[in-house]
Amino acid sequence: MKFSIFQESRLGARKINQDRVGYCYSRDALLMVVADGMGGHLNGELAAQIALQYLTELFRGEARMRLGDPARFLHHGLNDAHEAILDCVRTRNLPEAPRTTCVACVVQDGVATWAHVGDSRLYHVRDGKILSQTRDHSKVQWLVDTGQLREEAASRHPERNKVLNCLGGSRPPQVDLSHRNRLADGDALVLCTDGLWGALTPGMLASVLSRKTLRKRLPTLLDLAQARAGRGCDNLSVVAMSWTEPGATLVDTSTRTLELDEFAHESSAAARMRPKDRDASGDAGAPADTATHPIDRERAGAEANPGYLSDEEIERAIEEIRSAIRRRTPPGAR
Amino acid sequence: MPTQSNQPLPDGYKLLDYRIDSVLSCGGFSIVYLAYDVNDQPVAIKEYLPSHLVLRREGDVLPSIADDHVATFRYGLKCFFEEGRSLARLSHPNVVRVLNFFRANETVYLVMRYERGRTLQEHIQLRRGAISENFIRHVFAQLLNGLREVHTNRLLHLDIKPANIYVRNDGTPLLIDFGGARQTLAAEGDGPGKKMLKPMYTPGFAPPEQYRDRQRLGPWSDIYAVGATIHACLAGMAPQPADKRMQDDKYQPATRLWAGKYSRQLLETIDWCLELNHLQRPQSVFGLQKVLLRQREPMVRSPAGLLGAMQSRLLRFAGALGASSKA
Repeated sequence: MKFSIFQESRLGARKINQDRVGYCYSRDALLMVVADGMGGHLNGELAAQIALQYLTELFRGEARMRLGDPARFLHHGLNDAHEAILDCVRTRNLPEAPRTTCVACVVQDGVATWAHVGDSRLYHVRDGKILSQTRDHSKVQWLVDTGQLREEAASRHPERNKVLNCLGGSRPPQVDLSHRNRLADGDALVLCTDGLWGALTPGMLASVLSRKTLRKRLPTLLDLAQARAGRGCDNLSVVAMSWTEPGATLVDTSTRTLELDEFAHESSAAARMRPKDRDASGDAGAPADTATHPIDRERAGAEANPGYLSDEEIERAIEEIRSAIRRRTPPGAR
Repeated sequence: MPTQSNQPLPDGYKLLDYRIDSVLSCGGFSIVYLAYDVNDQPVAIKEYLPSHLVLRREGDVLPSIADDHVATFRYGLKCFFEEGRSLARLSHPNVVRVLNFFRANETVYLVMRYERGRTLQEHIQLRRGAISENFIRHVFAQLLNGLREVHTNRLLHLDIKPANIYVRNDGTPLLIDFGGARQTLAAEGDGPGKKMLKPMYTPGFAPPEQYRDRQRLGPWSDIYAVGATIHACLAGMAPQPADKRMQDDKYQPATRLWAGKYSRQLLETIDWCLELNHLQRPQSVFGLQKVLLRQREPMVRSPAGLLGAMQSRLLRFAGALGASSKA
């Protein structure tokens, strides 16, 4: 199995990165994961972290060399990642389940299978054209699908960040599973968060992602997205691979050198996991980066972009107020 | 009240877990409804709906926002959040209690405990001014407890006036409407806020430093407004606006206007709070409260000259810093 792979996760204009990306491969199978922890909920990045970690560990557990059934792996993997998040809520006694989107893709036997929840996307690109892509589980996509919103207007809709399906939510996720997609030489698979695709047109994405140029072009693509998003730029993350048919010459990664039981993996997350995301009791129990310094962050946000309040900032502000209400001491107890 | 073009939500409308009963009040910034929660308890729900930015027509639930107003609308949300944040931190019998905060209908809602009573403004209108000294002392001594709590949390109200003081049927007062932060935001340089939020002072109640020198805002700024509010209880109307007073002060000391009708001590307190120079007002609510509670005693005015006043101001410098930078 030969492919060239690239991943990067950037902060954008945000203070924290709630995106998690990673990939992991054995001799015969490759797993790629992108998760976008949801702002406006506590510990979005924790949910994203759990999802990524859970899936990569599951992959290593199941894929001795290859997975029995990639589709089954993805379906169960995402559902179980959801449960893993809820377990974490129970063990850490969190006031609310953190949430995340997730898109994951397995490549095995020259066939790609993917699954997603939320609005992180996968694009299958061939010859500079988008062959297929995931359909977001978002409010705007729903509005478009039901004819209430024009496709072109979706990117400006005030609720474009509203996700209707996620891991960690109060309802179990509806995992959306793809068909089997046979890869051709030079095909690219791009998994990314809305911080990237939201700032670009589909044409921009496709044109840049031809073979041979992945490593060179993706950083440019990220730069472009960042420039277009400006000061409201969300975290933007991508894992992309281009496929090399056996026999082709340009190879960045070959799994042939791996031992049978060996795995290689890379993720954006491990180093960023805080040793202690939350102290579970009392007022000081606010999660380290969602509520303890809300005002500082608000202020920093205002400096970066006076005036504009993104959807995520709105959700965050509301959550902040709601948790302050919950935390507040009753009048008699003071 | 300015012409309100926005239609309120219809009576009986189901908003999240609440059922809208009727409109309590409309302002340029929001509409306040009486509603009932799942347990059939009454609540007051404030809906962010700046009438100059959004339009909700008869029969609609979602307001329409012109594209070029979206950013400004969202900017205004910050002010609404500021109010929510302030209130969520406070827990005091003399400060309105916020119960919930949520997003719906493309805007946001602040749910507060519903209290039975009427605003001080209505009291003043009903009695055409002539409010008894006992009532004033009773209401303000308690109200200042609430204001102290506000200041202790390093917040300033910045819009204290009779319409923002609610007197429950049992006579206990309640500080309501913490939307005053919008004024701070309005003053912040250029940007979309300029477009939307013209400086919104309540003339007569806002101290001079709220018009300019905003870095001088502090507890003494709310104290000016308290003085003006007590003044309004006696006069039936607000004193001359501070900006006008800075040009040509026509303020007539309460000690002269109502001599013999109210205790000299109360009248002196009003004049003291209404000093144009913020250094010469009571510097803390506690100081003011002590005077109000010390009934019928000859009032000792702060002996401090400029030096003493500056000293006391320095002492409170840190608190003021925290308070004035909340936006």
